Amino acid sequence: MTDLSRRDFLRRLGAGSVAVAASGYVLSTWAWAGPADAAAPQPGALGPTSPGRTLVVIELAGGNDGLNTVVPHADPAYHSLRPTLGVTNSIDLDGEIGLHPSLPQLAARYKAGQVAIVEGVGYSPPNLSHFESLATWWSAQRPTNLGWLGTYLDGTVGYDDPLAAIAVGPQPAPALLGQHSFATTIADATGLEPRLPVWAGGSDALLASWGHFAPARVDTSSLVGQVERAVGLTVKARARLDQVLGSSSSTGTTSNGRTAAAGSAAGYGQSTVVESLAVAAQLIRSPLAPRVVYITGVGDFDVHEGEAQRQPTLLSDLDQGIAGLFNDLGGAADGVMVMTTSEFGRRPTENGSGTDHGTANPHFLIGPAVKGGRYGEPPSLTKLDDTGNVTPTVDFRTLYATGLSWLGVQDTQAVLGGQFDPVPVVN
Amino acid sequence: MLTSVTHVSARERIAHVVRRLGIGPHPDLLAGLTDPDSAVTRALDLSGHSPVPPAMPAPASLRASRPADIVPLIGWWVDQMRLPSRLIEERLVWFWHDHFATSLQKVRAPYLFRQQHVTVREHATASYADLLHAVAKDPAMLLFLDGITNTVDKSNENFGRECMELFTMGRDGGYTQADVVSASRSFTGWIVNLPELPSSARLSEAGIAPWTAAFLPRRHDDTTKTLLKHTGNFDLDSALDVILGDPSTGTFIATKLYRELVGSDPSTATARRLGANFARNYQIMPLVEAIVAEPAFTSDAAVRNRVRTPVEKLVGILQAGNVTTTGERAGVAAQALHTGDYLPFLPPNVGGFPSGTLLLGPHDLVTAFDLLDTLGGPPTPPPRVDDLLATFGIFDVSSSTRSVLDAESDPARRFALAAMSPEFAVT
Repeated sequence: MTDLSRRDFLRRLGAGSVAVAASGYVLSTWAWAGPADAAAPQPGALGPTSPGRTLVVIELAGGNDGLNTVVPHADPAYHSLRPTLGVTNSIDLDGEIGLHPSLPQLAARYKAGQVAIVEGVGYSPPNLSHFESLATWWSAQRPTNLGWLGTYLDGTVGYDDPLAAIAVGPQPAPALLGQHSFATTIADATGLEPRLPVWAGGSDALLASWGHFAPARVDTSSLVGQVERAVGLTVKARARLDQVLGSSSSTGTTSNGRTAAAGSAAGYGQSTVVESLAVAAQLIRSPLAPRVVYITGVGDFDVHEGEAQRQPTLLSDLDQGIAGLFNDLGGAADGVMVMTTSEFGRRPTENGSGTDHGTANPHFLIGPAVKGGRYGEPPSLTKLDDTGNVTPTVDFRTLYATGLSWLGVQDTQAVLGGQFDPVPVVN
Repeated sequence: MLTSVTHVSARERIAHVVRRLGIGPHPDLLAGLTDPDSAVTRALDLSGHSPVPPAMPAPASLRASRPADIVPLIGWWVDQMRLPSRLIEERLVWFWHDHFATSLQKVRAPYLFRQQHVTVREHATASYADLLHAVAKDPAMLLFLDGITNTVDKSNENFGRECMELFTMGRDGGYTQADVVSASRSFTGWIVNLPELPSSARLSEAGIAPWTAAFLPRRHDDTTKTLLKHTGNFDLDSALDVILGDPSTGTFIATKLYRELVGSDPSTATARRLGANFARNYQIMPLVEAIVAEPAFTSDAAVRNRVRTPVEKLVGILQAGNVTTTGERAGVAAQALHTGDYLPFLPPNVGGFPSGTLLLGPHDLVTAFDLLDTLGGPPTPPPRVDDLLATFGIFDVSSSTRSVLDAESDPARRFALAAMSPEFAVT
C-alpha cells in the first residue's frame, strides 16, 4: 500500500491550491524547557560569529533505512541479510558502496566531489524508540529539552532575531528550541500570511492591531507572557518574510496571495521536501540569509512494511529536492552546507516486506565547499548486537560539530555538552 | 501568575474547570454556574446520550476509498465538541483519539476511521482495559501499525513497540527489546478482510465480513513467550492483560490524563497513587474524578497553564460565534484545522498531536487567523468588551489586551482580535 502524502490528502479535500504539510515525527511531549537554564549561553558567548554561511538540515522522519540508501553492494553479508529488499542496482561509487538508484543526482554530485558520506553515525547506547531517539538527536544527548541548534542560537544571536533560523515544514523543529532564542517556522512559500475572511476587512489593519498585543516589556514568567513575546517576534518576522517571499498583505483576503506564493515554486515536484528546499533556496538568496534552515516533515521513512515501494519514492523526492536547492542557489551555493539527520537506521534483517527499527546510519554533508568522499567507518554487518542491529562507529555529535564548525563555532562544549571534532570535510 | 493580573477571579476559575473537562469555553453554560464544584458536577454529568456519528457506506475497496469522505465526520465531531450532551465524553474522546493516534495518511479508508471513532467513543468514559483490547483489534490500527503483516513467519514489531511505549507502559516503563519481541509475537495472527485482497472472498465465506478484523490461528505464533517476566503461550488478549498488570501502565495513563486535565506533571507520589488506584479495575471516570479532586486541578497555577490547541481554538470560536460545522460548513472547518496541521484522523505521527509551547511558533499564531474563516460571515458579538470576552470564556484580562480591544470599534473585527488575544491562545 502506498502512502498518501499529507499534502495530497489536502488536495483531495478540494483545496489543491493550498500547499501544506507532510508527516513529521514531532515529539508531542517535547515541552518548554522550564525556568531559565543557567547553562544556556548568553548572546555572543559563542563568539562574534557572523558566519555568512548557512547550514541546511534535512531531518528524515521515521528512521531512514541507510543500508538501502548507501548500499554496501560488495559485502556478501548485505545480500544475505536482505534477500528480498536488498538493492541490486545501486549506482556504484567506488566498487564497495553505491547509492540507491533513486538518488541519481546525488550520485552525480558525489562524483563531482561535493558529497561527503559519513558512515556508521549513531549514538550509544542505542535505543529503538522513535521518541527516545528523537529526543537524543534534538538535544544532542544533553539532559535538557533544549535543542542543540537552539543553544547555538542562544549563544550567538540570542533574543531578538526570529529569522536567524527558520524551520520549513508543517511542524516546528525541536532542535531549534532555545532558552532565549526564537526560531520561526513556515509551512511553505506562503510564509506567515494568514488567510483572513473578507468580513475582517483587510488584513493590514487587523494585523497591525494584533501587533499591539506584543508586550512593552518582555516577561516570560507566565504562559500569557510567552504568548505576548511570541506575538512581538512574529510581527517582526512577518514583515521581513513578506518582503522576501513576496506574499501580498494588502488585499482583503489573501487566498490568492497564498496561491501565488505557493505557485512560485512552480517547476518543482509536488512533494514536501522538494517544495521546502525551494523555499530554503529563496530564503538563503534573500537578504535574510538565515544561518540555519531546518527542513521538517520529510517522510514517512518508518517503513515497517512496503519498503520496496515506499522508500524509492521518498529518496527520489530527496534527490530532486537537493538538486533543486543547489540549482536555485547558483553562486550562493558556496555558502551552504546540507546535512541529513534521522533518528535511527533500520534493522539489517527484513521483517517481511519492511524493516524494523535499527541503529546507525550513513549521513550526507553536501555543498561546493565540502571535500567529497567517504568518512567514518561502515558498521560491521556480521557482528550484530543482541537486538540484531549494527554498532555505531561515529558519534552523531561529530556530525553536529561539523555543522557548527561550518557556522564558525569550534568549541562545542556549550552546544553539544562535550568537545567533538568535526569530520574533516572542509578545508 | 498572569501578566498584569494579580489573582484568578472566581469566574475565571469556573471557566477553567469547563475548559479542561470539556472542549472550548462553553459560554452558554458558564452563566449558570456559580462555583467550581457546580462546574465539575455539570461537566462530569453522563446522563445525556452518547452521540453516534452519521452512517458511512462501505467502499468497494481500500483503493476506491476517498480520503475526503472523512470531512463530514470531522464536521460532525467538531459540532459534538461545540454543543455536547456530555462534556467530559468529548474531552476523553479527543484524549483517547490523540493517545491511540492512527493516521488516514497510511490507512486511506475513512470508513475504518468512523468505525474506530465509534469504538473509542463507546469506551471513552468506561474501561481503559476494554478500550485497549478493542483498539488493538481495530481494523484501522491493525493496518496503521502493521498488525496485519505481523505473522508467525515474520514478526513485525511496529504495534508491539508503540503499544508498550505509547499506549500502555510508557517509555520509562521498564520493558526491554526482548519484551517488545515477545509482545509482537503474541500479537501475531490478526488480519483485516480487505475487499481488494485475493483472500477476501474466502474470508467472507468463513464468516469474516469485509472491513472486519479476525484472528487466523495459522498465522499466530503458538509457542511459549516470556513477557515482562511472565511466561506463557500468550495471544493478543492475554499479552495485553500481562501489560495491564504491570504497575507502569496505570501510572503512565494516570500521569498522561493528569497532564491533560491539570496541565502539569503530577509528583511521583501522586502519579503512583492515582495509577495504583486506576489499575485496580481501569475504570476511567473514577480516575477523572480523582484527578479533579486534586487541589492542583483548580489551583491558580493550573489556570491558563496550557497552550490552547487549534482544535480547542476552533471549537471556542464556533461557540463564541454560535456557528455549526455540520453540512456544508464541514469542509471549511476541516480546511482550517489542516492548515494548522491539526486535522483529526491525521496526526503527524503515532505519538499524537503536538502540544505545549511548540504551538507558539509564528506559523501557529498566524494560521490561527484562518480559523476565523470557519464562521462563514461576520459574527455579531455583544457590543460591550466584557460581554465579548465572556463569549470566549475570558474573564481575567491584561490591561494591554483590554486596550487593544477598546481601540477597535468594529464589532466583527473586535471579535477577531479577541480570538487572537494572548488570553485566548492559552487555556
